[in-house]
Amino acid sequence: MAALQQAARKSEAPLKLVASDVRKEFSLRKGEKITAVEKMSFEVRENEMCVLLGPSGCGKSTVLKIVAGLEMPTSGSMRLDGREIVAPGRERGMVFQAYTSFPWLTVRQNVEYGLRINGMGAKERRERAEYYIDLVHLSKFRDVYPKQLSGGMKQRVAIARTLANEPALLLMDEPFGALDAETRWHMQEFMIEILESSKITVLMVTHDIDEALFLADHIVFMSTHPGTKREDLWTDFKNGVRIRDKEEILGMDGYRDMETKILRMMREESLLKKQLA
Amino acid sequence: MSGSDSTIAATSAGDTASPRRRERWLEFKKPIPTWELILLGLIVWVLFFGIWKLATAVGWAPPFLLPAPDAVAMTLYELFASRGFLMDVLVSVYRIIVSFAAACLIAVPLGILMGSFSRIEALFNPLVSAWRYLPAPSFIPLLLMWFGTDDTSKLALLFIGVVWFLMTLVMDHTKAVKTEVIQTALTLGANRWQVLRTVIVPAVMPNVVITMRQMLAAAWTYLVIAEIMAATDGIGAMMMRAKRFIHADEIMAGIVMIGVLGLLFDYLFRVLERILFSYQEET
Repeated sequence: MAALQQAARKSEAPLKLVASDVRKEFSLRKGEKITAVEKMSFEVRENEMCVLLGPSGCGKSTVLKIVAGLEMPTSGSMRLDGREIVAPGRERGMVFQAYTSFPWLTVRQNVEYGLRINGMGAKERRERAEYYIDLVHLSKFRDVYPKQLSGGMKQRVAIARTLANEPALLLMDEPFGALDAETRWHMQEFMIEILESSKITVLMVTHDIDEALFLADHIVFMSTHPGTKREDLWTDFKNGVRIRDKEEILGMDGYRDMETKILRMMREESLLKKQLA
Repeated sequence: MSGSDSTIAATSAGDTASPRRRERWLEFKKPIPTWELILLGLIVWVLFFGIWKLATAVGWAPPFLLPAPDAVAMTLYELFASRGFLMDVLVSVYRIIVSFAAACLIAVPLGILMGSFSRIEALFNPLVSAWRYLPAPSFIPLLLMWFGTDDTSKLALLFIGVVWFLMTLVMDHTKAVKTEVIQTALTLGANRWQVLRTVIVPAVMPNVVITMRQMLAAAWTYLVIAEIMAATDGIGAMMMRAKRFIHADEIMAGIVMIGVLGLLFDYLFRVLERILFSYQEET
């Protein structure tokens, strides 16, 4: 384990997102407070695919909401490109697990939505939307309403809509969690394609270890009670190359070791949860 | 034990050709063909009119209290043809449209705001809930004092009868708009006004129109109450006049007319829904 950690190597790219000592309390009804996240510090570098991984209830979604500006930290700071995050904004677009495509808009209108509300001209936004619809392989469906799309296609619309806004940081909250196994696998491979073609920084939440190992350059593993970072892991067994197919990655040296290590940490966390419960 | 044994024996001994399960007449949630849909709907009406006609023909009820269905139809024709009933109908429809539109104009925006923002809900909901529990007809004496017997008192009664329910229902539908959809818009750079206008309103509109359709039925109830209490024109007024002269056929013609109008308005709303919200997923 120690060897693996030592081999872990950070990328040299400049820092994009810096969380320092973030703490989030929620007040319950009877005036009690519950600490969802504390002492949470981590960094995401430019063009990095960073995954927040951890057992359920570790506060990873809360952390993501703070990055999105949808929740405010009780204390500590969350900075993007050095600026404190205080509100939601277009530079931090988020894709959710639930389907969020607007049913009253066609695929193209959905993808244009962010551009339209930010005041981009009709011609320019049409061109931009066109490009991103192409990128997510939905050109044939550009004038169709979401009701005619499958779950995976709806998520691709959501991804295209967010990418079209060209955010500095793409946030994803278990984006493939509602999909069936086959579609999820396709979407994961599709994500690699997106990462390669659009050079974007991503922060994604998942509890799926396979998904984390397949997609991530950098994994922030979180523990529960209260939620905090337990360990940074870098998927160095990929040698800095993002692998496009799942079969290939399964056979790589180092994959099993890392998977075993994460599984072990997951088990420890759930044992801890049981003891506390 | 012996029971299940005998069942097995029975099935294996029985028809080996096709052990297919026959579809029964009543199956849970099973859709039926269109012709059957129409036929079943007709059967019930034929039965209804048949029993009605029979009751009058055999003489179970005296004709001045329960006229035959064909007599009612004749009266309805006469009312339109020679007694200016069309004016009464138009007056009633006008009252419905004006007061229902006014109620919607207040209730829909306020309901959407209450459903969107907890503070606006906290501000208005105690008032709205209390008013919802007050039966609108209890205001009739007051309304008559304030507005006399002219149109205003009728419009006011309809308004009071509908507006609070409409507001609450619109609020509940607005609350049901998925949080993630709103949050998505926020992370795409929308401000609060844009979220309201470009996300919440279009998201809740289909349900608002359904609610309007349902509340319109209630509006008809209040209309008749209003016209029966004090009016010189309108469908309800005609029925009250008829009562004075013991013309049951005219009263029943009025009821039939209200039913027909109700169906018509309901149909129009359904057409509107189908046109406006064709993008919706069938549920």
